[in-house]
Amino acid sequence: MVKIEKLVKAYGDFRLDLSMEIKDGTVTGIVGKNGAGKSTVIRAILGLIRPDSGQITINGKELSRLSEAEKARVGAALSDSGFSSYLRVEDIVCILRKMYPVFDERFFRSQCTSLRLPFDRKIKELSAGMRAKLRVLVAISHRAGLLILDEPTAGLDAEARNDILDLLRQVMIDNDRCSILLTSHISSDLEGLCDEIYLLHDGKIVLHEDTDILLSNYAVLKVREENYETLDKRYLLSTKKESYGYLCFTNEKQFYAENYPGLVMEKGKIDDLILMM
Amino acid sequence: MFGLIEKDLRLTLVRKQTLFIFLAMALIMGQSMEGEFLVGYLTMFAVLVAIGTTSYDEFDNGFAFLMTLPFDRKTYVREKYLFCLMMAAAAWCFGIVLYVIGTGIRHSAISLTGQLPMLLGIIPTVLISACVMIPLQLKFGMEKSRMILFALFGFIVVMTAAWKKVMDNGPALPDALPPAAVLLSLTAAFLLLALASYRWSVRIMEKKEF
Repeated sequence: MVKIEKLVKAYGDFRLDLSMEIKDGTVTGIVGKNGAGKSTVIRAILGLIRPDSGQITINGKELSRLSEAEKARVGAALSDSGFSSYLRVEDIVCILRKMYPVFDERFFRSQCTSLRLPFDRKIKELSAGMRAKLRVLVAISHRAGLLILDEPTAGLDAEARNDILDLLRQVMIDNDRCSILLTSHISSDLEGLCDEIYLLHDGKIVLHEDTDILLSNYAVLKVREENYETLDKRYLLSTKKESYGYLCFTNEKQFYAENYPGLVMEKGKIDDLILMM
Repeated sequence: MFGLIEKDLRLTLVRKQTLFIFLAMALIMGQSMEGEFLVGYLTMFAVLVAIGTTSYDEFDNGFAFLMTLPFDRKTYVREKYLFCLMMAAAAWCFGIVLYVIGTGIRHSAISLTGQLPMLLGIIPTVLISACVMIPLQLKFGMEKSRMILFALFGFIVVMTAAWKKVMDNGPALPDALPPAAVLLSLTAAFLLLALASYRWSVRIMEKKEF
């Protein structure tokens, strides 16, 4: 679906340099600390920035060569940008009707009603949660084959987050060929939704793994100072010194569970991944 | 393109109250002012409102999302010029209607045919200013472009005054050109400027990163 080959984009000291792929019908998550380059990747895929080098293709076609009809098959929700906040939800319905060849107005209206988005209110009068829901709803209401969502749940309460995640789950149920790329700081959102996770650090991919493998094979080991010396370190991805000894991150949970039965071990989570890498 | 026009129409209607005040002023002026002034005022106002939609697009980093919608940057620019033209044409027609009604109320006779070249000349004149304003707005944004525009108009005023002084002291010119020739010259100037302005605007938008 989307192929990024040797993409390079530099801003002063920051340099994004990566290759990645979003396969058909998969949900791919990008995680990383602030400033890791997540939004830069999203903006590059959407053609909002010009890469210094490298190539991005969607369904084998270079980004700049996409026709309007092909662009209409991409849905995007950005965390810091949307329709003018002076427009009403009803205005957006009318605009989308003319903007997209396939706009599912009935779905949009019914979702607005169930998500309690008032049609007659200006966007600037909506709460942050309502605006975030509206951004995602706009992205998914025209039968897109590719959804690109930058921090769709950032800064929202649990209820609003759940509403948005439910919307995305619904998309996956309705259209199993739809590919989704999303970035998030909230690891539980990604763990429950993504098939694959990319970890970005300083503009580079430091880890790419299936979410299932990540959750089943990765672990955090809490090792006392005296035990650390004798620990087999071949499968440790990173180690951090702590007051009690060492905090180690591994992708071979089974190995340590079998060979070091007394070792304190916690299931690997995406948050650990961000903190330990 | 239709989606963009719909968006701009709806953004225009956001300023309903301002539109209403200006239209009310036009109605009052229609009773007393000359036709050229009334039509010119309405057409210029409509073009300013049309160009103003760009600032709504730009506000709150709105361009980033807009450029993810199914059109390219060239289409965005093309729509801005088209929207200005549509607004100017609509306002011009409205102005003419007001002028005719106003004249009818005052029971004074008008010869639209005689005034038509002059009235038609308003459209290219106003659109020439749009051709200057659109690329400036796209390049520098709302605030900066306003400053540049003030400086530009100031420069034009100074140059016109200087030109007038030179001409007053210079040799006498032949009689004024016939209105049809003025209209043709204005239209030709507008078309040339529109082409250059459009190309400049496209280049500005294609270079932009969001």
